[in-house]
Amino acid sequence: MSTRLDADLLGQHVSYDVSGTWLAYWLVVMRVIGGWWMLHAGLDKIWAWPFDAGWFVGGRAAGTTLGPVVTLFDSGVLLDFVNVAIPLGQTAIGLGLIVGALTRTAAFFGSFLLLFFFIINGETGAWSHGVVTVELLGIAVYGIIASTGAGRILGIDAYLAETDFVQSHPRLQYLVG
Amino acid sequence: MAHPTTADKIGMYVGGGLLLLGVFGIGLLEMLFGATHPVSSDGQIQHDALISVELRSTVMIAGVVILGLVALYKVAVGPPRR
Repeated sequence: MSTRLDADLLGQHVSYDVSGTWLAYWLVVMRVIGGWWMLHAGLDKIWAWPFDAGWFVGGRAAGTTLGPVVTLFDSGVLLDFVNVAIPLGQTAIGLGLIVGALTRTAAFFGSFLLLFFFIINGETGAWSHGVVTVELLGIAVYGIIASTGAGRILGIDAYLAETDFVQSHPRLQYLVG
Repeated sequence: MAHPTTADKIGMYVGGGLLLLGVFGIGLLEMLFGATHPVSSDGQIQHDALISVELRSTVMIAGVVILGLVALYKVAVGPPRR
């Protein structure tokens, strides 16, 4: 089964047939791998509760380009928030990607988290193996998942997208899918 | 084929362009005109950057942030009416 890819990019029209089955297959594979990455990271922190992000937020991040923003969260109630939000967020992102529920939302927040890890881990290690790290590739993979609505392939979003609620609120199509 | 909106184009060309500039463009400059890049015994590249790491980071952050803002904008305005 083939599907037609039609696009205008940089003034050039592109049109060719791609295997829809293989495209769908790899989108699901990317979703599960990218989801397990986050789910594993989140559950690891939950199993070893309590989680303390202070070493990263207040320590490693200081002095990096994102330091002025991240270190605002290095103490008090804001650090308490981070200590809960990171494990639960990673777990929710991972679950969302694996089962394909609110996939675009999960991919968006996954990229959001990865931007911090990419910059802070990268700068503190001076990108000693180059800037193309697993975090940067993760941002790209999540971008593909979000822009293609990959949650509708073998995912709960296929059902959610057809509900009356989503149909009557078209902008929700940008959160599911 | 749905034609890209102005927001899509800003995301793709400005956001994606900055990200690719930071990753590939500055990387190529470093490779061609930067200091030598000896590799240590454990595979680490010994950096002496031509363009500061902070500037390169800022360019890449700006790219990803613009793509993210475009995504938020698209959610806010909803899909185009057919």
